[in-house]
Amino acid sequence: MKTYTVDYELEDGTQMYAKVDTDDKIRLHATDEYPPFQAWLSANRDNLPSDIQAKINAGELTILEAD
Amino acid sequence: MSKAAELAALIGSQTALSNRNLIINGAMQVAQRGTQVTGSTGDGYKTVDRFNVSNSSLGTWTFDQDTNAPNGFSNSFKVTCTTADASPAASDKLLIMQRIEAQNLQLLGYGTSGAQSITLSFYVKSNKTGNASVNLLQHDNSNKLVGFQYSISSANTWERKIITFPADTSGVINNDNGYGFQLEWFLNSGSNFTGGSHRSTWTAFDNTDRNVSNLGIGGAVSDYFQITGVQLELGEQDTAFEHRSFGDEYQRCLRYYYRTPAPNGGLAANEPFPCVGNMDGSTTGAYMLQFPIPMRAAPSAIEQSGTASDYSIRVTSDANGTSVPTASGFTAESALINLVSSGAGFTSGDACFMRAESTDAFLAFSAEL
Repeated sequence: MKTYTVDYELEDGTQMYAKVDTDDKIRLHATDEYPPFQAWLSANRDNLPSDIQAKINAGELTILEAD
Repeated sequence: MSKAAELAALIGSQTALSNRNLIINGAMQVAQRGTQVTGSTGDGYKTVDRFNVSNSSLGTWTFDQDTNAPNGFSNSFKVTCTTADASPAASDKLLIMQRIEAQNLQLLGYGTSGAQSITLSFYVKSNKTGNASVNLLQHDNSNKLVGFQYSISSANTWERKIITFPADTSGVINNDNGYGFQLEWFLNSGSNFTGGSHRSTWTAFDNTDRNVSNLGIGGAVSDYFQITGVQLELGEQDTAFEHRSFGDEYQRCLRYYYRTPAPNGGLAANEPFPCVGNMDGSTTGAYMLQFPIPMRAAPSAIEQSGTASDYSIRVTSDANGTSVPTASGFTAESALINLVSSGAGFTSGDACFMRAESTDAFLAFSAEL
């Protein structure tokens, strides 16, 4: 995969994130509870895309501790 | 052990005669995501259901639901190195794991004076011989862990391993749908995960205790590790693997991941997905897709092929998608799927269903732990 990006929002306010593959296709949309998304956040916490970092800075996205 | 002795031991252990395996898909029968993944450098589920891979910068891999297996089994999960990492960095790691839902572990009585031991058995095969590490982590107790060494004695030979994990009278496993155990087999790692000691009693989490005996799979190209017949059962007595039907295991897997079309039942072009709905405006098909069984929780992800035109809105004619399907509502029982075809001129409110325009088309939902 290449990256995740902030995508659409559900009616209940849940934010969906899109996984962008190396061919630029989006094959997965996920909430912030999706374990692989959390693992990616944890592994890339020092170099996150600006839109993802903005969500974290706004307190709207939390990185959970990976095992 | 003779069959008579095995039965006597089983009865003596007061272990259930059926439904005793806490592992789902232990015989690696179900692989909804496909039977092979190549060129993998990351985490996630690779082929067989319920068995997750954690790979942090440790080589490149092919994962197979392999047909090579011990007698009585048809499948195994095979991990093969295609780009080696002879000198893993400190934080590099590669492991296979299965997370077990906490409410399915209440029979262990953890956190009470009546807590019981559990026994793990599995078949393993590798080109490498030597000692390796297998651990249990308790998620509800700050990943308190217990871990043991096992040994692969003969290269390229199926061997059965049996390990009994002690009871924990102090660690309560919550009676909920989170994960209670993480059962993990370390295949290789850097120094952050080794250098400690195996834990024969439940003790506080320490990364250096997780891969004390490093098998080192992936130090060379073509290194491989295969596993099947994984069973985790109550008590100190191992029993023969509890074979379950494909349908039984498939139903269990669907609680955590659902992909349509079903394995071995791929959609041909122009065949329908199991979701119907109505036009929400002239260009958006809004569909309710009911899962075959309720999932563990509302899914946290929807997957599709990545190509909008693999999908179409069907009313009285077809209109191919111009954006990939998305979900706008998740519950444990269903999802609301939207498919947009920007050029469609259907009538809002008309009934519709979603159709595959390609054999690549699929929809999948994850409620994995």
